[in-house]
Order: sequence, then C-alpha cells, then structure tokens
Amino acid sequence: MSTISRRETLVWVGAALAGPWAVTAPEPAFAQETPGLWKELSFAPINAPGYGTDPDLVKPATPWPLTLSEDQRAMLRIAADLILPADERSPSGSALNLDAFIDEWISAPYPDQQRDRWLILSGLVWLDAESNARFHHGFAAAGDSERRAIFDDVAFKGKIKPGYGRPAFFFARLRNLMLGGFYARPEGMKDIGYIGNTPMLAYPGPSDEALAHLNTALAQMGIKPVA
Amino acid sequence: MAQHKPGKTETFEPDVVIVGSGAGGGMAAYVLTRAGIKVLILEAGRDYDPVAEAAMFKWNYEAPLGGASTPDKHFGFYDATANGGWEVPGEPYTNAPGSTFRWWRSRMLGGRTNHWGRHVPRFGPYDFKAKSRDGLGTDWPISYDDVAPYYDRTEKLIGVYGTNAGLENHPDSSPGILHTPPKPRVTELMIKAGANALGIPCVPARYAVLTKPIDHPHAPRQACFYATPCGRGCGIGAAFQSTTSLLPMAVGTGKARVVTNAMVSRVVMGENGKAQGVEYFDKDGATHLVKARVLILAASACETARLLLNSKDGGHPQGLANSSGQVGRNLVDTTGTNVSGHIPALENRPRYNEDGAEQAHLYIPWWLYQDQAAGKLDFPRGYHYEIGGRFGPPGSGLSLGSMEDGYGASLKEDARRYYGAQLSFTVRGEMIPNPDSYCEIDPEVKDKFGIPVLRFHWKWSDHEYRQIAHGMETAKEIIERLGGHVLGGPLPKPEQAIAVGGWIIHEVGTTRMGASASDSVVDQFGRAWDVDNLVIADGGVFSSNAHKNPTLTIMALAWRSMDQLAGRMRRGEV
Repeated sequence: MSTISRRETLVWVGAALAGPWAVTAPEPAFAQETPGLWKELSFAPINAPGYGTDPDLVKPATPWPLTLSEDQRAMLRIAADLILPADERSPSGSALNLDAFIDEWISAPYPDQQRDRWLILSGLVWLDAESNARFHHGFAAAGDSERRAIFDDVAFKGKIKPGYGRPAFFFARLRNLMLGGFYARPEGMKDIGYIGNTPMLAYPGPSDEALAHLNTALAQMGIKPVA
Repeated sequence: MAQHKPGKTETFEPDVVIVGSGAGGGMAAYVLTRAGIKVLILEAGRDYDPVAEAAMFKWNYEAPLGGASTPDKHFGFYDATANGGWEVPGEPYTNAPGSTFRWWRSRMLGGRTNHWGRHVPRFGPYDFKAKSRDGLGTDWPISYDDVAPYYDRTEKLIGVYGTNAGLENHPDSSPGILHTPPKPRVTELMIKAGANALGIPCVPARYAVLTKPIDHPHAPRQACFYATPCGRGCGIGAAFQSTTSLLPMAVGTGKARVVTNAMVSRVVMGENGKAQGVEYFDKDGATHLVKARVLILAASACETARLLLNSKDGGHPQGLANSSGQVGRNLVDTTGTNVSGHIPALENRPRYNEDGAEQAHLYIPWWLYQDQAAGKLDFPRGYHYEIGGRFGPPGSGLSLGSMEDGYGASLKEDARRYYGAQLSFTVRGEMIPNPDSYCEIDPEVKDKFGIPVLRFHWKWSDHEYRQIAHGMETAKEIIERLGGHVLGGPLPKPEQAIAVGGWIIHEVGTTRMGASASDSVVDQFGRAWDVDNLVIADGGVFSSNAHKNPTLTIMALAWRSMDQLAGRMRRGEV
C-alpha cells in the first residue's frame, strides 16, 4: 500500500456519490478537515475477471478470488457483531458471514467495489491506528468498551467527533454494506419481515391489520381513507 | 425461444426481411405471418429463452455482490439483458463535446422487451396533436381515432391489467379488454389518499402483465403468480415479452424464420429505387446478403437511424430515406427524476406480502390539461408519476431512507422500523424535440464489425426543466401532506435533478412520420417517403413523445403499418 493525494481521494468519494445526472457530486463535508490518523492510502488494483456480460443466471458464480487477510476478516467479524449483534429475532453479523460478504464485495473488479475496497481497507488501517493511539493495542486486541468508544465517535449522525469526518464516512459505508448483506440473507429477511417470492393464485392485497393501521394514520392526518 | 428453433434458412425465401425482434419487429412478424406473408427476422443478439434462462426465483444473496448493478450487468445480476446495457462490448457510441446521452441496448432475441418496465398507458387525442394545442414541435399525421382500434387489439394480444378511469386525454379501452388489476398495496393507498386530498388523481396503472391466462397453441401464457421480479424475464409468460408471445406465435405459423447473431450493417439498394435487401455480419464477422420484396426496420429508433445513415451511396449521399435531412433528428427521450420521502406513519407497519404483480398497481396520470390550456403553468407538456414504496425483497442495498444510525441493538430496531416506510415518486415527462438533440454518424469511430457508430448531441430546454421542477415540488407536497419529509435534503435544481438524456430508455423520433416528404422520414404507415418498399416499425417513427411510456404505441403503430403493408402486398402494389 502507498499514499495518494487528498484530491484523488475526493475524486473517488465524489464518484461514489454520483448518480445518473450530468452534474458532479459536491465535495463531501469533511473535505476541508485535517485527516488526523486517517491515512490516504492506495492499494494494488484488482485485476481479476468479472462475471462478464452474459453470465449463467440460473447458476450464479463469483469468479474473482477473495483478497482479505485473516486479520482483516477477523476485524470485520468483530465490527459485524458490534454493528449487528445477535438478538432474539436474528443471529449476529459474523454468524451470517458478513466478513465473507465484504471480502467478496471489495475483491470484485468493478469500479464501485474498488472504491469501497479503498474505503474499507483504509478504514481498517484507521481502526487499528485509532485503537493503538488510544489504548496501545490494535482493534482486535481491544476490549468491548474500547471498541465501542471508537465506534461512538463515528457512528451517530450529528454526533460525529470533530475531525472524524473521514472515519465516519467509512463507518457509514461499512454499516450500509453490512445491512445489505445481513437482511438479504434468509435469517435477515425473516427478521425484517419480508414475506413473498411465493407463487399464489390470487393476490390478497393488504391484510385487515395493515389496512386498519393505514386508515388510522390517515385519519390522524385528517385525510379521507380510500380503502 | 428454444421450443421454436428456426429451421434451415437456406431453403426459405422470405417475402419480407425484418430487422429486430423486440416490440416492433416481433409485432411486425406476428401480423405479417398471420396474413400469410413469409418473414425472415434478423436479430443482432443471441438466441434467448426466458423459460430456461430467467432466474425467476433466485434470491439476491445467491448472486455475486447480492445481485448489485455492475458494469457487466447494469440493472443487476439477474436482469434479463444479455451482452448489453449502457454499453455493448465492442459496439461503442460517442457523445459530442458538451453532450451526455446514454443508450441502452441489448443483444438478445426479443431485445429490450425481455426486461422492460411494462407500463403501457395509451397516448390520447391531445398527444397526437400537441402542436395544435401549444404551437411546439409537430403534430402527428394521424389522430387518436386512427390508432384506437390498434390499441385495443394490441392490449388484447399482449395482455394488460388496468381499468378504464375515464380521465381527460387518458383514453379508455374497449369493454372486455383489460385484465383485472391487482389490489393496491398500503403504500399506494396512502399515496392515493394524500394525492386525492390535494386534488390529484391516482388510479389503477396499466401494465402488460396478465391476471388471467391467455391460451394459444404456440404461446400459452399463464396468469401472474404474484412472485419474482418481472425484469428478470417471465418464464410463465405472464409479463409480456416478445420471446414468449409474438415470436413463437409468428414462428408457429410456419411462415417465419429467425436468424440470431445477425448484425445488419446496411440496406442494399436495387437499380429500380427500391431496397433490394440487407447485408449483415454473423458472429464470425462473415457478411451475408439477404433479399426480399419488402424491408422492415425495427432495430430501435437510434439503431434504425444509424442503419439508414450508414446505407448512404452515390445516389443517397446523406444516407438512405433521408432526402428530408430528418434521419437522426428530433431525438427525444422522456424526462425523469425521482423524489422519495420518509413517512413516519409507515414506520413499523404490519407486515404482509407486498410483492403483488411486482409492478405498480396504482399511478398518478397527468391531470393539469385545463391549467395548461389556460396558460396557468410555465411549461407546456405533462408528466406522470410512477409511484412506489413497499416491503421489497432485500438486496445488497437495503433501503431504509438513510434513516439508519448508530450501531448495535438500536440499528436492528432501525432496520425493522424504517423498512417499507418510504414512498417514491418517479417523474416521467414529455420532452419536446429541439434542434440540438440528435444523432449522427461519428466520422471516425467504428464498432467491432467495422460499422461506423452513432455520435449523440443532447440539450434540454427550459420546457423540460420547469416541468421537472413542478414534478418535484408536487411530489414534495404529497409527501409532506402525509406527514413525511423528502429524502436527501432540499430539492435540487431541475438542472441537477433531471436524468441525463437516454436514461429513461424512451428514445424515439429519429425517423419521424409526417404528412409531407419534405419534413419527415416516413408516412403515417411507417413507409419511407424515399423508398417504397422500406417500412419502419420501431419508435423512430414517433412525431412527438408524450410522457406515456412508448412501447404500447410502438406495437400499435407497427400493427397498423403491417396491416396496410399486407394490403399493398396482396394487391401487388409493392
């Protein structure tokens, strides 16, 4: 790994924020911040093949090799269990192999995933640096309260510790990826309450309970229900 | 379409060659074969069979990257697009400096009908005579009444759910044609209630999805079973696509043959001012010439324009069928943007199956025709909203309206609270043709076959920007009336919010029809003014592009043109 310029970083972040619009995305809010312990790193590009423009859809396969080290995977498992801990409705993030999901994601040869690779790998380096500076050991060796102290500084909107804009951007992206990986799994779908993808002869529409909930809400807004 | 493999073409002498197998080409083949005419369909892409290839029931987590969009599969891993998308390998296009236009293509049998949105509103009487109403653009050489019988026939053939809402310039279908629409979801009922409270209509949408089966010996189609995303392709034939209906119906008559991997490069003219045939490249790069009495071009608006422009010769220095200079001109797309809102009243709402027919069950049609006629609005043409919001199948990006925060137990509660609590308003508006939006042949760049490629020029006008601004503001009013807030902060300026040209994939107008050979490419039946035996049957023929999604109108016009062509052929006039 080596360092890259601040400008290059912002170009990458901007590209990640861009949509189907001709106008370039604005600079992220943290552009003017001092990076602190966050280092502008660059990593060897992924040159593995993608799945191509005409893959077999019935037998999906991921052709690119995974690239994370065991240490990096271990950090992601720790983060996954802090971000999405087990409870009575679903297992923990690591139990649903979110470290493997992230590894597949950031090892993919596509531009969006390569940007995430830069962000996630840089973020893991930062997590260790932050833990070392505060507690004199890396993130994996840190205790639960130590890890939470770091997360608490970057995880909550409106409460980001001043100067921590870059780590907070990393954290938000990691959380977003983990939410996607978690709730797309059968255990996650069951938790969140997705019901469907089951053939039926007729579509029943909303349940009585769902309709009553809607109509109560509309009545409170002074709006006439339509069903 | 494995069950209807083409037979040997060597012994098959077609009366008509059709370029393209999507909405226009499929319809042309269906109508002509029913009239006893032998057709050869040339498709640039590979053979495709949704029954065998559509990964209907696969879960997102089973796909690489949870099914996310990538440069290999722009609409996600499972999307029914083969070797295509915003880029096609080895087949570039270019943009003139300062222009941004994106061109979606696919390279597969059935073309873009395999994955399309299937929203099929009719154009209305105003839409065919828009210039007469506001002085802009051009009128069509035909009126709604000319097309109405073909809308009926097309809807009956392809199968459309919806209702007759009896609204101004949103024509009803004849009785007995529409299939019963599915019951609206909670989110749709909420939007309807909020919109109605502001005097805005919200009615059952029309989608080309069957809710009762259609029997046919060569193309039996089942009713929707209310599962699986339509964009992956529909192996049961409920969601209309050319490969499960028009093409097997045509081939089943014994009068049609299909050649795939046939990239047509030019029209070859005969001595008599008539088209003699077309030349195509096979996948090995070898060229073939096929001849026929009549040529139908249905390669898609821009691909057909490219073909005509690339068919220039000594007698046609500007390109074929282009004495008017209009080929490639008048390129329009639909305007588009999205406004989403978070609705607190929808948080933690009771779960139930919201798959439905996967597509929208309700929509908001354009409703301010009278205000426009009275000069009360600062933009001349309308838009509609395709509305959304539901408990959708989670994928790599879980949409919680950016409401998720923190980590740990509270984050899991956030996911449960905010899932299904957003409403979306997709604005789809009419663009008026302008002299700065067109396609032409790039003087330098060629594709992998050596065929010169298209170069696009693009510019929106204030008509579109003001319309988009109105669409965003009105969506915001509905969201706020429902106690919600718009996601993403203050509304952006329309110049920032409008999707780039081509993004809505409604590009039409490049070979427009008209009343005179001087300012149009084809007549009202798609016949090239300059070449009597060349008929265009794709979206290129549109004189204007109402905000209503174009595919139904492409098919209705193709049917009308083919009826007229079959008559001419029967009478020996061509």
